[in-house]
Amino acid sequence: MQFEKEVEIGVPRQKVWNFIWDVDRFIACIPGCKEAKTLEPGKRYTATMVEKVGPFKVEFPTTIVVLESEELSHIKAQASGADNKIGSRMKIELDVNLREQGDKTVLGFTAGVDILGKLAALGHGIIKRKADQVLDEFAQAVKKQLEGES
Amino acid sequence: MLRRFRLEEPESVQETAELLGRFGESAKIYAGGTELLLAMKEGLVQYERLINVKKLQGLSELKLENDTISIGALCTHYQLETAALLKERLPALVELERNVANVRVRYSGTIGGNLCFAEPHADPGTLLLALGATLVAQKSSSRREIPAEEFFVDAYETCLEADEVLSEIRIPVPAAKSGIAYLKFGYLERPSVGLAIALKLNGGISDARVAVGCAGPAPRRVPEAEAMLKGKSIEEASRNLANAGQAAARTAQAITDLHGSQDYKEHIIGVLLKRAFQRSVAQK
Repeated sequence: MQFEKEVEIGVPRQKVWNFIWDVDRFIACIPGCKEAKTLEPGKRYTATMVEKVGPFKVEFPTTIVVLESEELSHIKAQASGADNKIGSRMKIELDVNLREQGDKTVLGFTAGVDILGKLAALGHGIIKRKADQVLDEFAQAVKKQLEGES
Repeated sequence: MLRRFRLEEPESVQETAELLGRFGESAKIYAGGTELLLAMKEGLVQYERLINVKKLQGLSELKLENDTISIGALCTHYQLETAALLKERLPALVELERNVANVRVRYSGTIGGNLCFAEPHADPGTLLLALGATLVAQKSSSRREIPAEEFFVDAYETCLEADEVLSEIRIPVPAAKSGIAYLKFGYLERPSVGLAIALKLNGGISDARVAVGCAGPAPRRVPEAEAMLKGKSIEEASRNLANAGQAAARTAQAITDLHGSQDYKEHIIGVLLKRAFQRSVAQK
């Protein structure tokens, strides 16, 4: 499943960049993400993703690896995790791009999400819809956090 | 494999609601089990307790109360498919029930369980929306009636509170001159699209309700399509069917999945709307 989102944030690019690397505040913007830990600053992190569709709940202990990072403009990361209780795995390839637009910043991200195992029985459409909602909420939360403090 | 769980056997709806309140998300109501037990066997959901409501008195009754058909939440699909009252007053529901899943599911699956599980491809919810049904939810000390169109929130999600029990489905008896049809289409076990129309006919169309389901996350009523049919002659309304079908397709929030692409489902919605309308007006 491929997702693309863009959100315009009314603060300069440096501020958005700093925010992305402030792990605790950044993670707080991802719905259902908790217990973030830095294993190696700028390179490896862990967190737990908890999501729910009706009565179906998943909890993915997730490892996030930063594959590339280009100051102020681009981050490529990979997140993967497994929920052994329900026998499902998740893998996310994430590209984050920052673009200056006057005194504002456009934060864009592209995510390739793969869900494997029993969770897939819920149906591709339902999972895609849920992931879309999560990304929308995330984008709005980042915007609110950053614009709120300026 | 089914994991171990405790089985609670309450003797009343009130006691059931209390158990739900006490045990929260670790407990679930168990009626026919046709959806729940499959999900549990697959390990997709786990509960410490199942609350068996199958023995509750009074929830398997089907009766006529003045101008309302009252269906107990524990009525099985088979019971509805064979009920003389429904054959006489609401044959569209009989036909729908006759085509739910397979005979094993119909024999043990209940209408209440079907509605509460809110599986997006389930049939009954869509027709209940078109029929203007209300759903009765009970707690230990209170009761409320929920219009069917407010009941379904999202895929697998209803507006029931954690300690509420669905006890009854109430359907207004259709007017003498009315046309009602539910049509579905699919090529897998569950339908790709379901569509229901309920028309009041008085030479023309004095009232119209349209609902669409299965294609998206939950059944939805389509007021835009209804407005294109209501107050029109049958000929006028027939000319609006293509637009009404497009309105229904937009409202359905069709999702691309194994049951078909969004475009495909939207096309089928238009086809079913036309056919359901033709079938409904033929009942005048």
